[in-house]
Amino acid sequence: MDPLSLGLLVALATILVLFSGISVAAGLLVVAAGFLIIFDGMSSLSLVPEIFFGKLNNFALLSIPMFIIMGAAIASTRAGADLYEALERWLTRVPGGLVVSNLGACALFSAMSGSSPATCAAIGKMGIPEMRKRGYPDSVAAGSIAAGGTLGILIPPSVTMIVYGIATETSIGRLFLAGVIPGLLLVGLFMVWSLYSTWASGDTNVLRSKTYSWRQRLEILPRVLPFIFIIIGVLYAMYGGIATPSETAAVGALMCLIIAVVIYKLWDPLAIWSVLRDSTRESVMILFIIGAAGVFSYMLSSLFITQSIAAWIGELDANRWVLMGLINLFLLVAGFFLPPVAVILMAAPILLPIITTAGFDPIWFAVVLTINMEIGLISPPVGLNLYVINGIAPDIKLKTILVGSLPYVACMVVAIILLCLFPGLALWLPNLVMGEAI
Amino acid sequence: MSGSSHAAVSAQHGGNIVLRGIGMLSQVAGVISAMMILAAVAITCQMIFIRFVLNESTIWQTEGVTYLMIAATMLGLPYVQYVRGHVNVDLLPLMLPPAARKALAGLVLGLTLAVTGAILWHGYHFWYEAWDWGETSNTPWNPKLWVPYLALPLGFGLYALQMAADTYAMASAIEPPFGLDPDATLTDSAPVERAE
Repeated sequence: MDPLSLGLLVALATILVLFSGISVAAGLLVVAAGFLIIFDGMSSLSLVPEIFFGKLNNFALLSIPMFIIMGAAIASTRAGADLYEALERWLTRVPGGLVVSNLGACALFSAMSGSSPATCAAIGKMGIPEMRKRGYPDSVAAGSIAAGGTLGILIPPSVTMIVYGIATETSIGRLFLAGVIPGLLLVGLFMVWSLYSTWASGDTNVLRSKTYSWRQRLEILPRVLPFIFIIIGVLYAMYGGIATPSETAAVGALMCLIIAVVIYKLWDPLAIWSVLRDSTRESVMILFIIGAAGVFSYMLSSLFITQSIAAWIGELDANRWVLMGLINLFLLVAGFFLPPVAVILMAAPILLPIITTAGFDPIWFAVVLTINMEIGLISPPVGLNLYVINGIAPDIKLKTILVGSLPYVACMVVAIILLCLFPGLALWLPNLVMGEAI
Repeated sequence: MSGSSHAAVSAQHGGNIVLRGIGMLSQVAGVISAMMILAAVAITCQMIFIRFVLNESTIWQTEGVTYLMIAATMLGLPYVQYVRGHVNVDLLPLMLPPAARKALAGLVLGLTLAVTGAILWHGYHFWYEAWDWGETSNTPWNPKLWVPYLALPLGFGLYALQMAADTYAMASAIEPPFGLDPDATLTDSAPVERAE
């Protein structure tokens, strides 16, 4: 069988196996082992443990559990609510200050936690009831937080970007920087839509902000500033050339744990254990997929599938933008069903040679891919953030949350189009800080 | 998560002492895994202190914490299985009637057990060779590799044990197939647990 038909067979088998309800990691191992046995014989399985171990034997991967601990420690406190309150108190003169501060808090919290559901839950718990109380439409209250929460995987530090960096051997530092301006662009688009939608709903009084005294504004700062300092410290350490992402993440994790204990009085050993337990569960789940995806991509290259697809695309006389459109469509559909980490790990070994052959920048592509994954987080049938919002505000119908989220999906599509038209939106900052990529 | 169609958030033992024992073993492995991740945080911070504050070089830390993370991952597998934390897509199981759902669950558990068993078997040989030949990592620290490799057979062994317990629990109706509420259908919310 020629490698291209084999590739198609692998794709079909993977879809079938993953839809059976098997865990993603085990599914990848089953498909990889199955094809290795059929085409290379039983003895090929003896290499699997070594490949699995080898894939995980990478210091850069340590940043994943570290950033997850950092996020879990912050999520265990009321830092999200404080952040949103602080922004609201300082944005008194801005029309629609409440929804603007909610989205701003989502962006900032994303930068601290690196997790979309954690951002959604932390900001939404306070933000959604407050917006509804002040008369914002339910669709805006729920949709803005669901969409704002997805920023967690784009704005640095993002676990999704780390996984992409490891899967494609691109610089994690560059990837983090590439997410900043598109992240801010998305926040801006979300804000514009939220304000327009609220204004269009008829009651413009809703957009008026409360006024706060200077005392009220200043008293909230001590609860928020430590986290802001951590973000600045993490970014300084990483881009000042002081430490690698893993080292920076470890210090960030320790500092966030200390802040959770000292400032937010997380003294109960059980509460600290639950932070560790949740971080361990998420880290192990992601690292297992990474190891399994390593075995999967070994199978693809050992059967010459990856190389053949890249060569085939190279020979195709297709317009590169048509190709990019098709890739986006594929990612969008995959993101509807699978978690971002799984999509990246499965698709990266196949897509990377295609996009580099077609002349696209892998750093720029990471941002486009991540925004696609963000759309998956707020789209049916399995948009995780929709269910997080459903959990926080059970009296808002799932349908309202879903309909409320759709305009924000459109904002993300606009962002992808803008990125295609102006790749500098993603590439300018990493090139400025770290020099042109070689 | 509100509205989830999952009946259970951790493995059910239904009073069966063996299943309970295996579940406890998985939980102990989870605690060890969490402690290893915490130790990795502490060691990395110590490494940074030595390198940037004391201006001295470090020898074992980078390699050591990577091995700790790998061991935490392997030993965490049974625990994450126990708490049903391995992410999956439940769409097809939710679309199936109870009998077909049970058959599919049996197939899924069987396939997972088979691949886990294969890695356990070859992982044991991989570890044994490193032990037998006294392999080292050829780095400045140069530790014996059988120590980090031990995590492979140990982790996958415990994972296979938890999978076997889950298969028994499903077959003897202690736990519903896929841990799904027997009445759950596709129209229920949260058909999938996802990362990120």
